[in-house]
Amino acid sequence: MAATIASQSSAALKFDLVARCSTTRARASCLTLPHGPVQLPMFMPVATQASLKGLTPEQLEETGCRLCLNNTYHLGLKPGQEVLAAIGGAHKLQGWQHNILTDSGGFQMVSLLKLANITEEGVRFLSPHDGTPMLLTPEHSISLQNTIGSDIMMQLDDVLVTTSPDAARMREAMLRSCCKEMIARDTPGIAIGGLSGGEAKADYCRVVATCTELLPELKPRYVMGIGYPEDLVVSVALGADMFDCVWPTRTARFGNAVTKHGVLNIKNAKFAVDFGPIEEGCGCICCRKGDGGLGITRAFVHHNTAKETVSAHLLTLHNVWYQLNLMREVRDAIMADQYPAFIRRFFANLYPNKADYPEWALGALRGVGVDLVEDET
Amino acid sequence: MSAPAVNGDDMSFKIIQPALEHGLAARVGRLATANRTPLETPTFVGVTSRGAIPHLTPDVISKHTDIRAAYMALEDFIEKSSKRKSPAIFSLPKDGCRPLHAYTATPSTTYTILAPRRTPAVVAQNGNGPKHISVLTSTGFERVTCENFCTAVEQIMPDIVVPPADLTFSSTTPGAKRQAYMVKRTQEWLDEFFTHLDPEKTLKPSDIQVFAPLLPLSYPIQWEYLKHLAEEHAAKLNGLTLYDVKILHDLKNHPQLLDLPRMSMESPESPQQILRQVRLGVDIFASPHVNNVSDAGIALNFSFAPSSTGSSGLQPLGIDMSSEEHQTSVKPFMEGCGCYACTKHHRAYLQHLMNAREMLGWTLLQIHNHHVMSEFFRQIRQAIADGTFEEKATQFNKYYESELPLGTGVRPRARGYHFKPEAAQPKINKAPWNRLEGEGTPDQVAAAEAAGLAVTGPAAGGSETPLVPEADAAALAKEGFAKIERA
Repeated sequence: MAATIASQSSAALKFDLVARCSTTRARASCLTLPHGPVQLPMFMPVATQASLKGLTPEQLEETGCRLCLNNTYHLGLKPGQEVLAAIGGAHKLQGWQHNILTDSGGFQMVSLLKLANITEEGVRFLSPHDGTPMLLTPEHSISLQNTIGSDIMMQLDDVLVTTSPDAARMREAMLRSCCKEMIARDTPGIAIGGLSGGEAKADYCRVVATCTELLPELKPRYVMGIGYPEDLVVSVALGADMFDCVWPTRTARFGNAVTKHGVLNIKNAKFAVDFGPIEEGCGCICCRKGDGGLGITRAFVHHNTAKETVSAHLLTLHNVWYQLNLMREVRDAIMADQYPAFIRRFFANLYPNKADYPEWALGALRGVGVDLVEDET
Repeated sequence: MSAPAVNGDDMSFKIIQPALEHGLAARVGRLATANRTPLETPTFVGVTSRGAIPHLTPDVISKHTDIRAAYMALEDFIEKSSKRKSPAIFSLPKDGCRPLHAYTATPSTTYTILAPRRTPAVVAQNGNGPKHISVLTSTGFERVTCENFCTAVEQIMPDIVVPPADLTFSSTTPGAKRQAYMVKRTQEWLDEFFTHLDPEKTLKPSDIQVFAPLLPLSYPIQWEYLKHLAEEHAAKLNGLTLYDVKILHDLKNHPQLLDLPRMSMESPESPQQILRQVRLGVDIFASPHVNNVSDAGIALNFSFAPSSTGSSGLQPLGIDMSSEEHQTSVKPFMEGCGCYACTKHHRAYLQHLMNAREMLGWTLLQIHNHHVMSEFFRQIRQAIADGTFEEKATQFNKYYESELPLGTGVRPRARGYHFKPEAAQPKINKAPWNRLEGEGTPDQVAAAEAAGLAVTGPAAGGSETPLVPEADAAALAKEGFAKIERA
């Protein structure tokens, strides 16, 4: 364990900064939460309805996951606050001994519930069942999260997509004024939300870079809804620490495997006779052979994608492991102060041809002192 | 995996506790091969769909179940494809391992049992021919000849093989003429099977055991076939596969066949029916019933030697886990059960998973239900061995209700290889998505699923797990979800 550079504690958590990248804004840290410590930067898989899409909590634990998400309003509807209170919270409900983060629900409500709209008082929506106008307030959100008993809670936020054409509204909701107000409230951590709503990647990077520049160093920074591997690697370079996304688990159910050479659609006919592991050299339980590994082949996953749930479970196991392991490697590279080299390797694996490197990533990384096009020395 | 030992003596079925008269009563045995953990009988085998025990990944099977044998159907592996000349599984390199095991990632301790058809099998309207059976692959019906089947067996090397029989799988009894054909063809195909796969040159060196099929026909119709089996093939056989256990009564006329292990394909719908078949001398059960019970959201709730709690009335054999009564119950699915699901989780979680249609619900039920069955058979073996089987079976019948409850939960989506849609038949799968009133854009992911392009299981749902309150406004307000706004 590396020596701590600096720490900050609150009633909810302890943040220990362990390493800083000498080139980019990447940092490695340790976050101590009520259900144990977690290592940042990290990716958090999403167990929307208190279950990670077919995996047992034990299987999730075996991927190395120590902090996963539950969605507040999904749990508010099923099983409901009364049941959660009777059982004693979401940890007891799902048999999960480690940490849980819950979202505020604002984004969820607006994106999933038609006819919902956020006002000064809270989220107004029409009950889909009988059309009654209803209001969900910040107090409802916190009360639900208290009953869930999450280790990290989010306050109800004013969600406005960053692609909103209303520039004045945008200015009001976001960026500097917002960051400053958040800092003034001295919350134990900061989340950057409302992204991943379809904005251009370059805009996304600008928002993250602007925020991390303004935010105090000794608080964890969580960028919500981010999950593509290249987004994670770039966002870490911009100074973000925590990420969550349903993409790795959802894409698994569509037959897609996330690998360091890109996403493979295992449904493609060419994989029917591919008897190699899902990813060569991968250390997940599916890909490993011997020593408790299952020796799963692409051919078998192909055989059952969209047919038997087992294939979805296997790809979910692999994808979750991939994401968590990517972040473990990212952390190791930061600790060794080798992060720029790691980024180069990562993009070289993903794009055999440098000409294919995405413009947004090149630009964002150039902003923090890493030029991927320039030849390695 | 080590190369299979070439030693015929390792392949054997030993009757440990023989039945009293003619071997036609409950008995205890052990089936062994060089490669696998011996199977203690009576026992049941896991029934796979496309090579996977539904909802269970191989790590969960190894860790949390006692499944020692897996029934697989050749029809699940041989779909036609314009992209390939022969089915993918046949391209698997053998290099020292058994291709069927390697392809399906079946744990090395587990037996694989290969038969031509799934259980239950979908009825093929065109029926079988003199030289072929009709099978249903995921891309449609195909013809499989005895020779095709033998080539496949040699290629993919199951531990136990059930040669093709002329079966209709229909609920109605075939006519007299058809019955005669069934016997004649099955006998011819078995002869042909042993011509293609020589016991000494191929089967024994490869450690492949043969369980000959007995037809679901009366003894007078198929006695000649049984006589032929006994006189011509008894030494080559390692077991019998019964498509109707009634034939067991007449097995005493063929003493050469009595010591062979008997696998029943007649699916018992209740533990009482299992006990009845055990009493007739069945050793191995290949029944899809456990899978069905789990899909229905039922947790099995019985034991062969229940600890009498003094509670009055007949006890239920299973519990409907979708029922709201379990919403806040932190009890195990079954009191005293030692399975992973019961020791780590509780009824409230399972009820939530069923209610939220999360796939993990079926996984936990499969773990629990397979565990209950393993325990049930372990206790049966013990009771036969210590001579208390009859007594305990009588007690069991008095203690429990005679039928399992029907589940009220939503089942997993049925797939094309599960059923054959017929005209005017109601839809098997309920449409997971309907347009909400006043909603213009249909969910693209839901549309993709409807078109059969993607998504496994109903819980996979749309682009996000939908957030639509099912309760009315008053209930939401009561739950503290939000408050009703006075206009």
